[in-house]
Amino acid sequence: MKLERSDRAPLWAFMTPALVLMLVFFVLPVIYVIVISFMKWNGINTPAFVNLRNFMLLFRDKAFKRSVINNVIWALVAGFIQVPLAMIMAIILSRKPKGWKFFRTVYFFPQVISGIALATLWRAIYRADTGLLNALLNSVGLGHLAKDWLGTLSTAFPSVLIYWIFYVGYYMVIMMADITTIDDSYYEAATIDGATDFQQAIYITIPLIRKTSLLTCVTLASVMGLRQFEQVYMLTNGGPANSTSTIVLYMYKKLQDANYGMASASAVILIIIGVVFIVCIRKIFEGRNEEAAALKKAGRAAG
Amino acid sequence: MKKLLSLSLVLIMIIALAVPAYAANDEIIINFPSVWVGTDSKAPYMEQLIEAFNAENAGSIKVVVEEQTDYQAARDKLRTTITTGETPDLCIMDTTYDIKGYSEAGKFMDLTPYLDEGWGDDFAEGAFDAWSVDGKVYALPFESAIFTPIYNTKIFAEIGWDHFPATYDEFFQFCEDAKAKGINAVGQMAGENAWTSMLWYSLIVEAIGGKDVYANGLEDPAFVQAADVLKAMYDYTFDGAISAGAGDVNGHWLARDTAIYLNGPWWVANLYKEDNAVDGVLLADDCEVALNPVYEGGKGEGGLVTTVQAFLAAAKQDDPAKEEAVVKFIKYITDPQHVSELALSSGAMFFVKYDPSPETNLISQKLTEVANNADFSILHVNGAFPTAVSTEFPAAVSALVLGEVDAQGFVDQLQLAIDMAA
Repeated sequence: MKLERSDRAPLWAFMTPALVLMLVFFVLPVIYVIVISFMKWNGINTPAFVNLRNFMLLFRDKAFKRSVINNVIWALVAGFIQVPLAMIMAIILSRKPKGWKFFRTVYFFPQVISGIALATLWRAIYRADTGLLNALLNSVGLGHLAKDWLGTLSTAFPSVLIYWIFYVGYYMVIMMADITTIDDSYYEAATIDGATDFQQAIYITIPLIRKTSLLTCVTLASVMGLRQFEQVYMLTNGGPANSTSTIVLYMYKKLQDANYGMASASAVILIIIGVVFIVCIRKIFEGRNEEAAALKKAGRAAG
Repeated sequence: MKKLLSLSLVLIMIIALAVPAYAANDEIIINFPSVWVGTDSKAPYMEQLIEAFNAENAGSIKVVVEEQTDYQAARDKLRTTITTGETPDLCIMDTTYDIKGYSEAGKFMDLTPYLDEGWGDDFAEGAFDAWSVDGKVYALPFESAIFTPIYNTKIFAEIGWDHFPATYDEFFQFCEDAKAKGINAVGQMAGENAWTSMLWYSLIVEAIGGKDVYANGLEDPAFVQAADVLKAMYDYTFDGAISAGAGDVNGHWLARDTAIYLNGPWWVANLYKEDNAVDGVLLADDCEVALNPVYEGGKGEGGLVTTVQAFLAAAKQDDPAKEEAVVKFIKYITDPQHVSELALSSGAMFFVKYDPSPETNLISQKLTEVANNADFSILHVNGAFPTAVSTEFPAAVSALVLGEVDAQGFVDQLQLAIDMAA
């Protein structure tokens, strides 16, 4: 649709504030970070151009490579384990079983608690000497499995990751909201045809939310996975031996060292990984969006 | 009616703008982000001191304390504010800050002229030597610290020992005996900033390498040897030391299940706290100050590990009146009488020369004796190397203890951190 000249002025008037804010608070900082990533700068002296030195140092640093791997695992687990779990919960609770409001609140509750508080709680659970988990193992005769969960190379990262997977409330409510927009006539027709609840979920609910809330949640969760900082910082500070480090934590440590060039270079890598993730997720979900939207629209029209 | 309302609003706005401006002209505000608050041992006396200063200077100078209860968060914030040109009027810093860089960049006030007026005589001989930039003092070494083991004599007696090990060979014999009794010989931590392990490493490095150990960076073989000794100590600490933080080390020590404790003198006040007493017996009553054991074949006998625990630095001021006010406040804090009181209440040690109070507790007196009798001193590892070493230390020590790297690999990891920051 081609805009009339008279329509352009109000359009720009409405868009300008948002564009200016976007430019000042996003585009310019990103450009700044990219520029600094090619500099050696301690935050005090004049930055000196060092070409690709910061990036070469990053890729030689085992801690950074570990951080990238951890972030990729985190993003994949978030997108493809945490969100599907949230989806299952959303589908079940959308059928409004007895006590569904209570469970909706319970699952969502961790979202209103600070991540720092949750990490502190889990640190107490994982403690080697007085931790709840080891006490539990001892009490059921599995004391030989007790260990320093956050201080053992093989268990530290899974321990940091695993408790967080089950905090599905945020994505669950997004998908529940979407599921409520699906026309009941689909389910009524399916019931008449003898479809079970499981079949209705597989053949009606999931296809209809796939390109909308499911895509949104997978994208959000993956991006959150890439941005992980507070719980790793609180639980392990990246240890032991950097085995739980993430890119943002690595960046933070470089900032502590006043090594702004390498901190910015790691931020640039994070941006690139983020873009790659978003593009891949969109590609995976591409092609079925229009189909699902059309189906939903048809359902509403029929209803 | 509308006109009257508009007029009233305009008047209120003018008054609201004028009043603070008038107040600002009248009273100088000194912004002071302080970590000596909350549970810090210096907090109670510092609070009194600042209240007294504000009362004495009511209407002309007011010190506003910005409470920083998390040491690491305080460091992050202060670094950011200094870097962005918003240096607070008065800052507390430790050796992890790039004091030389900030001074050269003109971030701090030059205190030399004031010190030359006689104020400098209040400080220990040579206190400024290592920290001045082009002969000028921008950061005032204020709180000092020595690091020497403190041990629980009651636990030692349970293990069957009546003295502290004099050599590291004897030390490990003691550790074995403690282990046989199910007691933790030492507290170690590789979590958070690995503070306790960094201190032990510093003591071992000093014992092996002696006073010139830092002369060639990390090249001295003492660093590799010391790494092996530190690793061995992890066999005699509590479960979960790899992921432990300062709270865990302190908790075990206070629970009387660790025989030897290592921290700065500011921690002494906790030994005398009723809260930490068991059956009415203060922990201090069961404690003795020890010397760093001698390493056979090492060069460190008679040496001591120290640091500047806190520098005081002030932002460069354009307003001479404000500069005078800030200096007046720093002089007030560093007044020998006030420092004596501060030392008494906290147990901390200072670069300011003062007459110790006769009420000074026994442990603090013994620490002072250790400091006075030392033949030489070296900084702890965090203080001797760039900040990158203190950032990397927890990862390196956990890698060492878990067998990811050997002692040489541990030192290489620290060196790589220095190289990347260089």
